[in-house]
Amino acid sequence: MKAATGNRKFVWASNYLAIIIVCVLILLLSVLVGSDRYIQRIILLIVLWVFMCTGFNLISGYGGQVVFGYMMFVGTGAYTTVLLFKFLGVTPWLGMWVGAAIAVVIAFFIGLPTLRLRGHFFAVATIAFPLMTFPILNHLGLEEVGIPFVGHGAASLQFSDLRYYVVIAIILLGLSLSLTRKIERSRLGFALRAIRQNETAAEGMGVDTFRTKMITFLLSSGIAAIGGTIYAFSLLYVLTTHAVFGLFIIVKVLSITIVGGMGTLWGPVIAAAILVPIGEFLTAQFGARFPGLQDVVYGAALVATIIYIPEGIWGKISKSYYKRRRKEMATQAMTGTDESPAISDEFVFNDLQLSSNGIVSNEPILKIENVSKSFGGVNALNDLNIVVSAGKLLGIIGPNGAGKTTLFNVINGYLKPDKGRLLFEGQDVALLKPNALCKRGIGRTFQVAQIFHNMTVIENIMIGAFANTRNANEARAIAEKIAQKMGIVNRANDMAVGLNLWETKMVEISRALATHPKLLLLDEPMSGLNPEETVRIGKIIRGMADSGITVIVIEHVVQSLVKIADLMLGLDEGHKITEGKPEEVISNSHMIEAYLGAKWRERYVKS
Amino acid sequence: MENFIQLLVQGILVGVSYAVLSAGLTLIFGVMNIINFAHASFAVLAMYFPTFWFLQWWGIDPFVSAALSLPIFFVFGYFVQRLVISRVIGRPGSETATLIMTMGFSLLIENMILLVWSGAPRIINESYTIATWRVGGVLINHAQTYGMLASIVLIIGLFIFLNKTTVGKSIKAAADDPEGCAYMGINLNLVYGIAYGLGIAVTAAGGCLMATYRPFNPFYGETIVVILFAIVVLGGLGSVTGAVIGGLIIGLVQQLSSLVVAVSLQNVAVFLIFVICLYTRPQGILGKKERAI
Repeated sequence: MKAATGNRKFVWASNYLAIIIVCVLILLLSVLVGSDRYIQRIILLIVLWVFMCTGFNLISGYGGQVVFGYMMFVGTGAYTTVLLFKFLGVTPWLGMWVGAAIAVVIAFFIGLPTLRLRGHFFAVATIAFPLMTFPILNHLGLEEVGIPFVGHGAASLQFSDLRYYVVIAIILLGLSLSLTRKIERSRLGFALRAIRQNETAAEGMGVDTFRTKMITFLLSSGIAAIGGTIYAFSLLYVLTTHAVFGLFIIVKVLSITIVGGMGTLWGPVIAAAILVPIGEFLTAQFGARFPGLQDVVYGAALVATIIYIPEGIWGKISKSYYKRRRKEMATQAMTGTDESPAISDEFVFNDLQLSSNGIVSNEPILKIENVSKSFGGVNALNDLNIVVSAGKLLGIIGPNGAGKTTLFNVINGYLKPDKGRLLFEGQDVALLKPNALCKRGIGRTFQVAQIFHNMTVIENIMIGAFANTRNANEARAIAEKIAQKMGIVNRANDMAVGLNLWETKMVEISRALATHPKLLLLDEPMSGLNPEETVRIGKIIRGMADSGITVIVIEHVVQSLVKIADLMLGLDEGHKITEGKPEEVISNSHMIEAYLGAKWRERYVKS
Repeated sequence: MENFIQLLVQGILVGVSYAVLSAGLTLIFGVMNIINFAHASFAVLAMYFPTFWFLQWWGIDPFVSAALSLPIFFVFGYFVQRLVISRVIGRPGSETATLIMTMGFSLLIENMILLVWSGAPRIINESYTIATWRVGGVLINHAQTYGMLASIVLIIGLFIFLNKTTVGKSIKAAADDPEGCAYMGINLNLVYGIAYGLGIAVTAAGGCLMATYRPFNPFYGETIVVILFAIVVLGGLGSVTGAVIGGLIIGLVQQLSSLVVAVSLQNVAVFLIFVICLYTRPQGILGKKERAI
């Protein structure tokens, strides 16, 4: 017990100590260099830009949804606070929270339509909003708003010495960095990384992608608004639409985050410490003779980084650090005992605390009633009726284009049926989103493996485990147990991108198992495997079914499927051709014709 | 009524000029799945060089410059694609990376113009710049009319090139199925380079035409690029015909909006259309419906 708390303290310290140290160092620097406004201004700019970058980094770096319209929220925060201060005398300390709240509300309404869009469309769509606000504010006569000077003092957030602002900014930065670190290690952080790498797979593994993106977007906009307020009060005497709603905000934020490393905690800190002083120096020295020099530098840094170090400075550093550490660990393992785990040939999954826990009832777990789905005139599924009994292993065969994968996509919610009902455990679930279906107990794997390439094996499985728990430690424990079971524990901390086909398939199955499925959909698990592996995966699938998970397998390796399936079903052109015992289905004349052509059916029937 | 017709005419003139610019944007998007954020900046560059400076130095007419800009910017665009953009295409997450990179380009282009030629607003002063015809009570600017005719020639030329020539057909094929093209022996890198060069060339020529009647400064492209994107979305991504229709719609909305709101809010109306489009028919912007998995 004591060891556990000690350990927890250690983890806490390693998480947040570095942040505290960095903040204290900047503070010391600021105090020590004296009241020179030029240098204090640079320090303040660095801290403020990093603060705004942390907000941007959450949604755009970790979540991969680049918000080109980030200045919308910076401007909203700045304008709200200044207008409240000027016309109603509201103290900026209160105004800044009002500004943040308004920014969050605006973000919600911007996010509703735009967060459904993918990648680069989202980026450009968001930029329309500040471009729209800009002329409206100008039209209202708010192009320039002087911040009234009411005397130096804390209440009005007006200080003669910039160091006061530096202190405030550092405290905010410490908070935002800590928040980022906390999110990084939490379910939200894992979900964001999964979304960034493969949104479709994340949704299927129980990540509510829309909600995750929305929450993060709201957080980011709040941070932007507070950053905007401090920026306006500390550095602008006259607030202009150009200064806080202009493209220049996103240019700075984007450059600093990209150069430092998207989705890294320290990247923006390092990049700002390099870029901001260079930019300020150039402007001070040559700004009069060569206007625009600073932005040329930012533009060049942006383009060069994307070409040469797409992961950014900090991304590069941490990558090479982990590479070295893994090499060291590998050499240690070599000198130590043989660590390759003994893989049992018995695949019993009862001890994984799966939801159904070996109870086999003959109740239908899934009923597909009159389901049809067509794509622009092609009927992929045609009035399909299927009943799947709990605890059974159902094999689905059919020629290419028979609608097998479409059927899976309908069952786990990627596609909505045009008509018909989908009953899971007696309830109509046809309109639920994939993540909700996953949480109800429908897990799946994919025809072409959809793993998260830049996450470790264990992290991949954890994404599945988060369908059942919010706690990262619990998720890790579940993932480790399953990795052990599936014989991939020796690769637990390796990036998924370097795995071979067998390991990739095991990761996918493990990830699906970690969601604790009652119904598991396996899309061509045997394709591409050698005969030995085919037998082994067959045993694994059988083992899962024997532990009480209802399994539906799509497979072209019919001989192997026949050996393990309880029941089989033949599909062709979206119709159910036949179902029943495996031997019956494979000797059905229509199935033979569908697979091999009419000639073979005649021969078969004759013989 | 006269006012309405005046705005209608103006809307068509503006719409066609936008259509040329967005034809290049939609072509580049359709072929490479790149949102070329620097697109309008290339047009602004063409307003300075060749248009403005050729006129200053040698007295070359801007309409001649527009023709000259086609080969100049084709080569420029081709090399930008082959030397810079092609390094990023094909990486995971390349869609966002190319978007951010082209934003870097626009930053570079704008500020290089600012550095070398200063930020002072420029204007072309030729006989046709302010001359107008009076038809009934409606005034029609000479330069804008010539510009529109030249734009129509450009769009038809682009259309014929894409549909009738081997290179054009390769570009269309590459847009449809890059993998299949690679297997059929089409050099994708070459095709991408040509497509990008072509898109930039058409846009640059459009920029030259625009410069004949509009004052411009280095940062003129910042606002236009999102209008162009709205046009491309409205017209259906990747479709040149769609860009023409979208351009006309946006041009008309922009001009006719001044019947109801202040002139300074013209672009608000444009972006409002864009936002409404996002809310009501996002599938237009979701691109091709891919098979889920």
